Amino acid sequence: MKTFDDRIGRSFDVHSRQLSNGLQVLLVENSAVPAVSINASVLAGARHEREEKAGLAIMASRLLDEGTETRSSLDIAEAIESAGGHLEADGSFERIVVASTVLKQDLDLALELVADLLIHPVFPEEYIAKEKTRTLAEIASAKDRPQVIAGWALNELIYERHPLHRPSHGYPETVERITREDLKDFHKQFFTPGNTILSIVGDFSVADVLPLVEKRFGGWPSRPVTLPAVAAPVRQTERRQQYIPMPAQQVNIYLGHLGVERANPDFYILQVLDTILGGGAGFTARIPQRLRDEMGLAYTTFASITMSAGLDPGKFVAYIGTSPDNMKLAIEGLLNEIRRIIDEPVTPDELKDAQDFLTGSFVFAFESNSQIARFLTHAHVYGLGFDFIEKYPRLIRAVTADDIARVAHKYLDSENYTLTVVGPVDEDGTVEGTSR
Amino acid sequence: MSLPVDSGTFTGEVRRTVLDNGLTVLTRELHASPVVSAMIWYRVGSRNEEFGQTGKSHFLEHMLFKGTDRFKKGEIDLLTLKNGGGNNAFTSHDFTAYYFNFASDRWDVALDIESDRMVNCVFAPEEFEAEKKVVLEELRMGLDSPWGLLLQEVDAMAYQVHPYRNPVIGWQQDVERATAEEQQEYYRKHYHPGNATVVLSGDFDTDQVLEKVAHKFSSLPSRPQSAPVTAVEPEQRGEKRIRVQWRSKVPRLAIAYHAPEIAHKDSYALQVLNLILTEGKTSRLYQRLVEREQSVTFITADYGESKDPTLFHFRAEARGGHTAEEIEASLYQEMKSIVSEGVTQRELNRAKHLVEAHFVLSRERAQDQAMLFGQIETLYGTGYIDTYLERVSATTSEDVMSVCSRYFTEKNRTVGYLVSDGSAATEEDSDEVADEDV
Repeated sequence: MKTFDDRIGRSFDVHSRQLSNGLQVLLVENSAVPAVSINASVLAGARHEREEKAGLAIMASRLLDEGTETRSSLDIAEAIESAGGHLEADGSFERIVVASTVLKQDLDLALELVADLLIHPVFPEEYIAKEKTRTLAEIASAKDRPQVIAGWALNELIYERHPLHRPSHGYPETVERITREDLKDFHKQFFTPGNTILSIVGDFSVADVLPLVEKRFGGWPSRPVTLPAVAAPVRQTERRQQYIPMPAQQVNIYLGHLGVERANPDFYILQVLDTILGGGAGFTARIPQRLRDEMGLAYTTFASITMSAGLDPGKFVAYIGTSPDNMKLAIEGLLNEIRRIIDEPVTPDELKDAQDFLTGSFVFAFESNSQIARFLTHAHVYGLGFDFIEKYPRLIRAVTADDIARVAHKYLDSENYTLTVVGPVDEDGTVEGTSR
Repeated sequence: MSLPVDSGTFTGEVRRTVLDNGLTVLTRELHASPVVSAMIWYRVGSRNEEFGQTGKSHFLEHMLFKGTDRFKKGEIDLLTLKNGGGNNAFTSHDFTAYYFNFASDRWDVALDIESDRMVNCVFAPEEFEAEKKVVLEELRMGLDSPWGLLLQEVDAMAYQVHPYRNPVIGWQQDVERATAEEQQEYYRKHYHPGNATVVLSGDFDTDQVLEKVAHKFSSLPSRPQSAPVTAVEPEQRGEKRIRVQWRSKVPRLAIAYHAPEIAHKDSYALQVLNLILTEGKTSRLYQRLVEREQSVTFITADYGESKDPTLFHFRAEARGGHTAEEIEASLYQEMKSIVSEGVTQRELNRAKHLVEAHFVLSRERAQDQAMLFGQIETLYGTGYIDTYLERVSATTSEDVMSVCSRYFTEKNRTVGYLVSDGSAATEEDSDEVADEDV
């Protein structure tokens, strides 16, 4: 009889092809609905840009659909929207992604547009200027959100000189500095077929779609790419903190420190730890159970070390938004749970429940075509293997309480952490209207 | 125009069953992924709340996780964890809904939980008081959001009579004084089989599933329906304006027009107009305000299906020294040009394709299907979906001009600006930025 895990751990039949110009193509046929999703990922992002031009990668990604050699911004929008499709270009620290979802009959149109955006963008001056004022306005708007400000401050203190210290969209002064030449250079340097993964999932046959891919992407000339090395961030060995006054109802509190890379062999053990400490289903994890359900301190509280793991080390974060009067209680509550998972073994029940949760809920990451396309890219970038779906339950089931104790001790720190607080507090941490 | 997808196929695969005790059951088989989404929808929301008792429906949603005799506090979440699933709930003006998503070999536990907590929820005073703190934190979190605050104030002003004027989470003073006894009475009144719809979507066999549902739910006693909500919002007699003071210097604008309820003959043309005005980069307001005038970071509109006549909201955020007044004036000019010149066939076709693609893509995920059918059944009946594409497709430029001229009028609108209360940081402080990606 098949077990739960076998039932869910079905792999996709992934057709992997490399075009002669080096473009990696990953295809999965899925006829569940008459639609197709495309995910084209260029493996360069904000982690590769220079500090004085921070925001370059994101701006480049956002300008891809604002004009190509043969299409205006409006032409591109007309083409995709008149078909009822989606087309978006966006970036992160690691990647620039052009993604599209269309009805099956519009697959070739989507491929044509995705190829055009990647290969022939022109970065029109007019749109560079627009994008700058828009980015500056969005930064100003984001600053109205105390949780965002607390998160930004946390990154600055944890990552120091590593690229992840800065916001992926840059700072107002670095955004202002970006020129059309910078954008064109960034495109020339990193946008090559050999540095791109094209994942396509949906209602088509591989035999039909390969010639279309060849037609749209085959002429993209290959060029060697050298990705700049990124020096590893240094883990803090002392406590850091920043209180940022803002008139608000709640104080938003982040507590954290440097975390792990996605490739870290302890990643799966840490996923189980995350589930027990600050994630999982509903409010079952220790932090939400204690701080929300028992103490009533917050609506939102969580913790995770694996969520932000990538090519670079992510960060361990614990978050809570609470009334100013509860600030000390909340910080102490977060620290208590961090100490407890470092000092005491998790119970057999906690371990088993977390494993059941992770192996059982894994299936929800693969429901839609766009989710599967993202997974293919992800699996390729991190070398997970396309049988990852079958391997994953075994990786999670192999985790023991001793493993968790070991990784908690190794990667969590209840002494040398960074604390950022935004809300009605003074810069020295005094809550308005109360004594310290 | 021909549509490659027949709208009838959307509900053709949905079976509707009504148990003797009045419980409605919708089942939709979907075998693409080995998952099942199990929802229950109650026809109760903030529209059912009385003066001084706002927020009860939402608070009740929280209490449904706080224990029955059979499932003690925390056990519902624990069962969800052990079975590798997800759960949550949400409350609106019109309904309260709960969902579980599980792999398809272990989802029955959702039926156990829902059939039990429909009638057996205990309201332990200490649990009630503890949860009140959580709800009040949720309320404060909403007030720290610029749009949460502005829309709360605009809606409260737009309605004079109808309970849609109250925030779903309730007014803070009402939530603070709420009692477990009142909460329990409200629960008994609104949580019973005749006021609920179970919606199951995913990888199962319908006949087997209906047997299970009958087994779990048919012993629950039927109860009389509570009195219908009778409040009718009178016609608005003139423009209303409010300047809400807040800590930010970024000007934000919300405009609300009274608009009709679900399946009203004008609602389809208004939905089409919404798409033409704000959906995508080709939309009129995007082209005008983001592209040409560059006066906003975004402009968006919201006109959702609702049981009673509702509000059609526009929201925009100013950029680069532009003012809310400028944005407002441009918005009115664009509407004026639609009233005088209509919209193009190209715009109508695009709107129809967007709706069609949206319907197709909603079939990818079991939960999206359960959401769609549950909401529409609760508000009106799933027949709405069958005719929806047809009605959207039949919409003409004249229809759009007509609704634009009749609904988007000066006297029918409430305009809210979010303006600085003087506490905002000065511009010199505003260069400290970091990543929001935490």
